[in-house]
Amino acid sequence: MDFRFDIISEYLPLMLKGMLITIGLSIVSILLGAILGFVVSLGKISAKAYLHWPSSLYINFFRGTPFYVQILIIHFGLVPLILGGSNAIVAGILAMTLNSAAYTAEIYRAGIQSLEKGQTEAAFSLGMTKFQTMRHIVIPQAIRRMIPAFGNEFIVLVKDSSLLAIIAIPEIMYYSQMMSGQYYAVWEPYLTAALIYFVLTYLLSKFLNYVERKLVY
Amino acid sequence: MREKLSVIFIVLVITVLSACGKEATPDSNISGKNQVTENVKFATDAAYAPMEFMDKGKITGFDIDFVAAVMDEAGIDHEVINTGWDAMLTSVQQGTEYKAGISSVSITEDRKQTYDYSLPYFESTNMILFNKGAAISNAMDLKDKKVAVQGATTADSLMTKIMGKDNNNLKRLDSNALALMELEGGGVDAVVADVAIVQEYMKNNPNKPFDTVLDPENFASEYYGILLPKGSELKAQIDSAITKIIENGKYTEIYKKWFGEEPDMSRLQEEINKSSQ
Repeated sequence: MDFRFDIISEYLPLMLKGMLITIGLSIVSILLGAILGFVVSLGKISAKAYLHWPSSLYINFFRGTPFYVQILIIHFGLVPLILGGSNAIVAGILAMTLNSAAYTAEIYRAGIQSLEKGQTEAAFSLGMTKFQTMRHIVIPQAIRRMIPAFGNEFIVLVKDSSLLAIIAIPEIMYYSQMMSGQYYAVWEPYLTAALIYFVLTYLLSKFLNYVERKLVY
Repeated sequence: MREKLSVIFIVLVITVLSACGKEATPDSNISGKNQVTENVKFATDAAYAPMEFMDKGKITGFDIDFVAAVMDEAGIDHEVINTGWDAMLTSVQQGTEYKAGISSVSITEDRKQTYDYSLPYFESTNMILFNKGAAISNAMDLKDKKVAVQGATTADSLMTKIMGKDNNNLKRLDSNALALMELEGGGVDAVVADVAIVQEYMKNNPNKPFDTVLDPENFASEYYGILLPKGSELKAQIDSAITKIIENGKYTEIYKKWFGEEPDMSRLQEEINKSSQ
């Protein structure tokens, strides 16, 4: 068997188009997920049961079920329920956002709880309110500790977005499956996809290292 | 950076080439005629009722009965294993563990570049399933509608030809089941799939507000073949067994069991003659 570069070059423009969709969906979802995750983590840390339990349930559900299943439920169940018809892009963003929020919530929680209790106690004794303590003492320090974990989550999200091909979102994996289907070839499409994902995540991790260094020193 | 990437690519290519090096070594010790007698493992994607599907943990369907009759006729033990679609394609191409695949695989010229096929054994075509009342009478009416297909099927390539490769209104889903759900969920206006699949769906869901239409002009007949690795030593034995079970009526018997009617053998026979020339 020979490795057919001709079918790769035939599909490369589509794969690169798919790459833009992958990048776009991942960025939108990580940002929305970061916002939602922050809210959820505050709920989880809260001592009030009506805030703690729903947040805890949310985190456990999304971390405890396969992303594959979540995509199918959101695409075929949740989105038609809200919009009255299925919409793959909405479902894709929603699935990635809800999923990443559950993981980022735990990153926030771990970051916040990693600070010594003495610091918040000191802030309280200086007369700072709970909000002021969070805003000036806890969050700035916690963020630095969260950056590596947050970067990991972003990389995981980029890779997980490949599962969105099952609901026909035209991202990288979608086009490589298309290529595989036309020629019944497997190595060419999937190695090309692997290479594109690798380049994406490699550049991303380099960028995150850079941000980390900037923030720490 | 560019240098690094090229190194990575070379490593990947070498991995591929070495993986391909492990091709089946033909058994030459059996009477010198490359006769295969050992247990032959078939790969399938058993999610395609009524052709091949799981019934309470057991693989069944037309294809499964058909391949049993063929291998019986050829006098070779066989076993069909549900590997899923992609794994079937890779493992049959390598031909080491799985010597063949049977999964309603249509014979196309593009695919012949990668595989060998047995004689054609089943005539099929694609059918359009759509919401009752929609103005759809043939495939061309689907041009500016939203259409779902199972990716990597002939329905996919036919609709790709009509709608274009990068048309996002053509949704290639992971399976026919998902494509049908997409139609039920209102995400698309129509589904194109094998006629056997669409009819099975209509039979199981008589109350759903859907209509079907055949389009022999745009969706020509296509023929399923058993998928074999390039240069397969099994092909001759399988082909002659297929011819025999068609002649002795075993084929018709299996067809009637699954579809409740006599097969139209004239066109299939014509196609068989064409490909055995």
